Amino acid sequence: MALHAGGDLGLVERLRTERHLAKCDRCRDSVAAFTELREVLPELAEIPEVPWNRLASEMRANIRLGLEAGECVRTGVPGEAAEVSKLRRFAGGRTALAFASVVALVGTGLILEQSSPVAGPLAGTAAAKEGPLVQATENGIQVRVGGSAFRLMNAGAKSVTYSARADGSMGARYLDPETGYVTINNVYVE
Amino acid sequence: MSEVVQPGLELLEQQNRFVSNNMRRIFIQIYRIVRNVSDAQDLTQEAFIKALQRQEQLKDEQKAAHWLSRIATNTAIDFMRRKSRATFCELDEAPESHSESPEQELLRSEQRNYLEDGLRLLSPRERAALILRDVEGLPAEEVARTLGCSKATVRSHIANGRTKFQRYIERRKR
Repeated sequence: MALHAGGDLGLVERLRTERHLAKCDRCRDSVAAFTELREVLPELAEIPEVPWNRLASEMRANIRLGLEAGECVRTGVPGEAAEVSKLRRFAGGRTALAFASVVALVGTGLILEQSSPVAGPLAGTAAAKEGPLVQATENGIQVRVGGSAFRLMNAGAKSVTYSARADGSMGARYLDPETGYVTINNVYVE
Repeated sequence: MSEVVQPGLELLEQQNRFVSNNMRRIFIQIYRIVRNVSDAQDLTQEAFIKALQRQEQLKDEQKAAHWLSRIATNTAIDFMRRKSRATFCELDEAPESHSESPEQELLRSEQRNYLEDGLRLLSPRERAALILRDVEGLPAEEVARTLGCSKATVRSHIANGRTKFQRYIERRKR
């Protein structure tokens, strides 16, 4: 009856239902109730008054930010694949030499990326023992002052990109495994 | 620190045009499912980001708009599934409307709350199917295409949605 009230039955089903409705008061009442419901539901189409221009500006900016963050965390820049395919390929020794150079470069980069960057006063110096120390750990960014530490965790993400900046801050960028959102944490010490 | 790759100017303009042409429609579509302005804003952003990450789907404008609707609906449904049963009250930031009397506004607000309470009883898919069919007025074939399921499945969602809603109304009348 719910489907009949909305005209959602196929031809054969509709004819069969109409034949039944001609004889059944209860089902006729049921169809009438569903028809009444369908007349009321369009009231849900109303949306509250919202400051649309402000909302739209915020959404546009956040969409742009989200796209750029997605480009950063993606493994490999999308354009690179197309660019590489356009390069002329050299056969023989030149290719092997170029390949070996790339492997060495990538390997060096990976080794450097694995080590925990440390921002703030240089570790091991006298100044480091006095002032706060911001550093990346295996599961987050840590601020240590003397014997106490505060850590901002990375929510269980497996692949995290850390960056240390000249102003002494530390950043972590990763895909949150629970929500699927790109998450960017920046820790500053003043 | 890695550098951000900036898309070409033409691509940027295409993306901006796509967002401008579809933003309000998608926001309203999502709001009608989740019934909350802040959530609808977040989910609208999420839907556009997902869509714009697949540039190859945006070449045909009409197909792209339809595909975006589908992403938006599924994003809203996934959100409803993840959402906790506990609800939180938020202060409404909408400006006051002076076009109707306080009594009319109260009645309208009560009616809206009454209908929204009924919607909460439905599963995310039933809710989406009912909204698309009986609020947005889309034909069943279109609803099936948007939800990415068969017409038979959509009819089942619509029937269940209407039946549950009708039972809720009867209970409230007693």
